[in-house]
Amino acid sequence: MYFWKCWRDTRSFFVVFLIIAAIVMPVAAMVCLGTHLVADFGTSAFSATFGLIIMAVALGLGAIGAIHEFAENTAHFLFTKPRSRSYFVWAGWAVGFAELLAVATVNFVAGWLTLSRYSKNPFHSALFGPMPAHTLLDPLIFCLWAYCLTYSLTILLHNGLKGLGASLGILFGFPLFAVAIRWRWHIDLPFPPNSIGSLPLAISSIIWILVAMLFVLAAQLVVERTEI
Amino acid sequence: MNETAIGTEALTKTYSSIHAVGGINLNVPRGAIYGFLGRNGAGKTTTIKMLLGLTRPTAGAAHVLGMDVSIERMAILQRTGFVSEKKDLYPSLTPSELVRFSRGFYPTWSDSAVEKYARILEIPMKQRFEKLSNGNQTKVWLLLALSQGADLLILDEPTTALDPVSVDQLLHVLAEDGLDRGCTIFFSSHQLEEVERVAEYVGVIENGKLLLESRLDDIKSEFRLITAAGNSLPAQTSSQVLSVVVEGNFYRYVITKDADGFAAGLSQNGAAITNIAPLSLREIFLQLVRKEQ
Repeated sequence: MYFWKCWRDTRSFFVVFLIIAAIVMPVAAMVCLGTHLVADFGTSAFSATFGLIIMAVALGLGAIGAIHEFAENTAHFLFTKPRSRSYFVWAGWAVGFAELLAVATVNFVAGWLTLSRYSKNPFHSALFGPMPAHTLLDPLIFCLWAYCLTYSLTILLHNGLKGLGASLGILFGFPLFAVAIRWRWHIDLPFPPNSIGSLPLAISSIIWILVAMLFVLAAQLVVERTEI
Repeated sequence: MNETAIGTEALTKTYSSIHAVGGINLNVPRGAIYGFLGRNGAGKTTTIKMLLGLTRPTAGAAHVLGMDVSIERMAILQRTGFVSEKKDLYPSLTPSELVRFSRGFYPTWSDSAVEKYARILEIPMKQRFEKLSNGNQTKVWLLLALSQGADLLILDEPTTALDPVSVDQLLHVLAEDGLDRGCTIFFSSHQLEEVERVAEYVGVIENGKLLLESRLDDIKSEFRLITAAGNSLPAQTSSQVLSVVVEGNFYRYVITKDADGFAAGLSQNGAAITNIAPLSLREIFLQLVRKEQ
């Protein structure tokens, strides 16, 4: 059914990044065999690659996994199936989200196993000390945000490339805009995954996740009202 | 049980200043094959889109299988097979994969029907959809619609791009299998010979208005071409007189009902009736559309 179709559309991309997520740390560790690099910088390298990999997956799945029925002229086929349009929007989102979490999990497990071979405490750098949990949670929340934004924009703009471009524009443009606002008016604009005002980080993270969901909800409302 | 498969009341669709469908009242009896005739842009596809909930009506109401389209759309779609005017489907999927995709949506889906229609329609099931010919792409749509065990088939120009042999196969399938199952078939077309061959009821739409809706046999038995010779015979159209063509002393009337009574009236005015002939669906359609224009 539709979940199978979403899986079919995204599986090549997903499998490639799943393999990358699984081998990047073991391969890096093998290259650095016989040195202190893994013990000293392994944790930092892991947190950096973790963020980069899941960011690429989030943006890619947002652009590939979103419904492309309007661009492919298949809306009259899909939307005459006995399911609501919101079902199709959220089914596509759920498949991409599951794949994003799978890549993140595999990358985390591979990193943890690799670093475990060199230290009894894998997330503790000899140079920088322990790696706090938010070092991994922050990129995860930011990537969920980026995924929802790209997914929604792809649906709204009826095109994966346009959705990806608009999403990148917002993700890179907004921080610059925020810096300009701060410089000119000394106002701090919130941006994920940072804290919102004086709210605790956990509460801010929940708010950022809810905002990400609002993007998808907005796309759903537009799809429901679109006349074919 | 409601005996109407499709019923609309003043169904209207307006796009800014364009009246795509102007308040039509359709009545499609259950179990019938209904040919929905009209020229390109007459409003056939827009009407079908409203029946399936793809487009919202500007005014009016529509009931399909006794259910209100605006309220019970999911239940209607569960029991309705559809072939779109645009025959696009997912390009990278094969017909077998499209079957796999569609199967789960319908509890009444029949895999034996898939096998049967794939064989009858000679569909290459393992070839990617984008690699299929236009005719085979149309057949895939038909296969999916026919295999879902629907109570109603809505087919928008189903014979587009089909060769004569395939058209013949399709019409045979619709006329035999569809009616055996008690399925209602509502199909739009401008291929009048096809409609005439299988349809029991016809509706003619032009400029968004339903010009005619009736049992095909009734239309064919009522509509007559009367040729009369005489001087100063009536040359106005009316509800009974669809059109009048005057050539010298000869008058050619297309009559919608009571042709004998009309001919008798002409005779009383001194006309000599030279011929009263039945009309084909094509001639009736052309007369209706010309009058509307």
